[in-house]
Amino acid sequence: MKKFINKIALYTFFILLIGNGIAFLSLYVLGKSQLYKNQFVKNGVKEKHFDYVVLGSSTGLTTLDTKLIDKTLNTSGLNISMDDTSLSSHYLMLQYFLSLGKTTDQLILCVTPGDLQNPVNELNNNDYRFLTEVQDTLIYNYYDRMEQGGLKVLAYSKFMPILGVSYYNNELFYPSLYAFLKPNKRNRFDDKGNFTYPQIKNNIEKGIVSNIETSYLNPSFLKIKKLCKQKGIDLVVYQSPIYRKNVVFPTNEDFKIINHSTILPEELFYDNIHVNSKGRTFCTLAFCKEIKNP
Amino acid sequence: MLFNSIEFLLFLPTVFFLYWFVFKNQLRAQNVLLLVASYIFYGWWDWRFLSLIIASTFLDYFIAIQLGKTDVSKKRKFLLVISLAGNLGMLGFFKYYNFFVSSWIEAWSSVGITMEASTLNIILPVGISFYTFQTLSYTIDVYRKEMQPTKSFIDFAAFVTFFPQLVAGPIERASHLLPQFYKNRTFDYQNAVDGVKLIIWGMFKKVVVADNCAFFVNKIFENPEAYSSGELFVGMVFFAFQIYGDFSGYSDMAIGISKLFGFDLMVNFKFPYFSRDIAEFWRRWHISLSTWFRDYIYIPLGGSKGTQWFQIRNVMIIFLVSGFWHGANWTYVVWGLFHALMFLPLLLFNVNRSHLITKSYGWLDFAKIGVTFLVVCIGWVFFRADSIADAFQYLAHLFELKSLGLSLFYKTNANLMIFALSALAVGILSMQELVWVIKKRDLPKISAFGALLLVLLIFFMGSFKNQMDFIYFQF
Repeated sequence: MKKFINKIALYTFFILLIGNGIAFLSLYVLGKSQLYKNQFVKNGVKEKHFDYVVLGSSTGLTTLDTKLIDKTLNTSGLNISMDDTSLSSHYLMLQYFLSLGKTTDQLILCVTPGDLQNPVNELNNNDYRFLTEVQDTLIYNYYDRMEQGGLKVLAYSKFMPILGVSYYNNELFYPSLYAFLKPNKRNRFDDKGNFTYPQIKNNIEKGIVSNIETSYLNPSFLKIKKLCKQKGIDLVVYQSPIYRKNVVFPTNEDFKIINHSTILPEELFYDNIHVNSKGRTFCTLAFCKEIKNP
Repeated sequence: MLFNSIEFLLFLPTVFFLYWFVFKNQLRAQNVLLLVASYIFYGWWDWRFLSLIIASTFLDYFIAIQLGKTDVSKKRKFLLVISLAGNLGMLGFFKYYNFFVSSWIEAWSSVGITMEASTLNIILPVGISFYTFQTLSYTIDVYRKEMQPTKSFIDFAAFVTFFPQLVAGPIERASHLLPQFYKNRTFDYQNAVDGVKLIIWGMFKKVVVADNCAFFVNKIFENPEAYSSGELFVGMVFFAFQIYGDFSGYSDMAIGISKLFGFDLMVNFKFPYFSRDIAEFWRRWHISLSTWFRDYIYIPLGGSKGTQWFQIRNVMIIFLVSGFWHGANWTYVVWGLFHALMFLPLLLFNVNRSHLITKSYGWLDFAKIGVTFLVVCIGWVFFRADSIADAFQYLAHLFELKSLGLSLFYKTNANLMIFALSALAVGILSMQELVWVIKKRDLPKISAFGALLLVLLIFFMGSFKNQMDFIYFQF
């Protein structure tokens, strides 16, 4: 029995040693790359100050083209949106962006009505992308707060990287091998952080325009607002087009709202909530007009 | 509780520690511990269904005691009927009630008669088909006087609920497993090491092979008409490996865990995809179920004795019952029928046992293996599809050979990665098993280095985020 226990302990030790070693290297390589948005902001963006940054989920990533905005308004902007995320991740991204010593005059926060009035914040599908920075207290605390259940694979990766890397092996381990070969490769965004959906004929269902009322119940939104105030950042809330929906925001807020929920012609949608490449140009130019003429 | 869950990772060492350190050399206490642990293991899903296992245990325990007390044939038959009615009644109600009611209504509506009958919102208790068959084997063996009834309720209850194989087999025979609860068990180092290696191999099959393949299988079977013949072919082959990795992986883990507690379970799979015909496939696939049907249904029906007509009838019955055992859906019955039709020619030409005398593998054998695998794969389409119409539609699209494109597998980076992982996992599994088949092994044999490598492969190739339930839990 003693021999068995000793063998099991010895092999477990070796497996954890080798496994954690591989996982650590994997995160290290990924952390030096520009594959995901947070690594891009850290390693791929040399500028320290921006006139504005666009922050949001997939709608933020694909609706406003910062290159076109900069060309039109002669500004310097960056898109730090990450798909499949919500306001809690946006708040984390903003904190992370600022913690890198970068600054911005204006924050264009792309919201969705459901997220904005969601009082409960949960871990988002792509939050694992920050795992390369889990040693950073900001990221660790975020995981620790957001993860549910007994085994917090992301948070505990601070001590045992194999937990997060094996759980998200498709998303972290294999991409790290790719990043090792091509460290400057970016995952579906350009050198300003933008992405666009192709120009294809959409198959979205027809319907009549209806109103969606929203409110500011999301605690992360309130935190973003507070952080902007603290850092002297001008907050602009941007609502991208939604097919046949008119988003109604509460009035009398102390920040600017640009509501494009109903401006887009049908053929410029990619799907119900995303615009295609022509739709992106359409929205970006409309945005430039509105931001220039308050 | 799943074998591949965090809870089980804590549960197993705790039971192991109590078993070998706290209750060492105390047979009765060890059996009580196994019983309590098994109830906790099962109750983790839904504690309410423990009542069914306990009821089944009480029923067969007392029936067997009564069978042991009487030689009166009529009384013995009556007792057996009570056991069969009780066990199969529970199984029938929980597993087949809604199926029979809806089939009855559909049958009448097909001739234009509308009937009203309500189905019930019945949850299928996990593993009910497995433990029901296990307890039945005990009562039937006692009835046949092939074994003595046990007087110890604890031993019997521990046998019925033995947690490593409770929910997905192997379906143990009372004559094999129950006596192991009577004997003092001493720790055997080599047995325990072999057990750990089997657990690792089973985990690899489940987490790396089955769960990765499941990603594409679920996509393709959900909407087969959207995919090319090439993609449907890969989907079919991946399902063959998904169900094999899932089910045989569970069996390997069950056997391995049992070894840690000094128990020996029967081998349930002997590398079935290296079968040279369907007869051999059924001697290698889910052996505990096929031998159960053989011993308790096929042979009592006359087996392969009698006229050809009787033989055909018996084969049809055994395969249809086997299909129906898997679930309350006509797809399983058709799957059974399909295998019966593939088996019958071998029986009629008296070549259904020819593989038993072939000593080594030649090129022709490998060609036969390929053909048999394809036949089995076609059968799996019926097993996996939601309805018979869906299965035929899948096969029709497959054999249309309209397009052989495989764009699904490289449409996105994520798809390409999961496809590569699945293909690699299937490759590793197949090559390793081929070696064991050629070496004529019944169970995997893994070196210490191999086990270490497998654990690392589980960590870095396993599908943890898209973890799937064990398929056979639903049976």
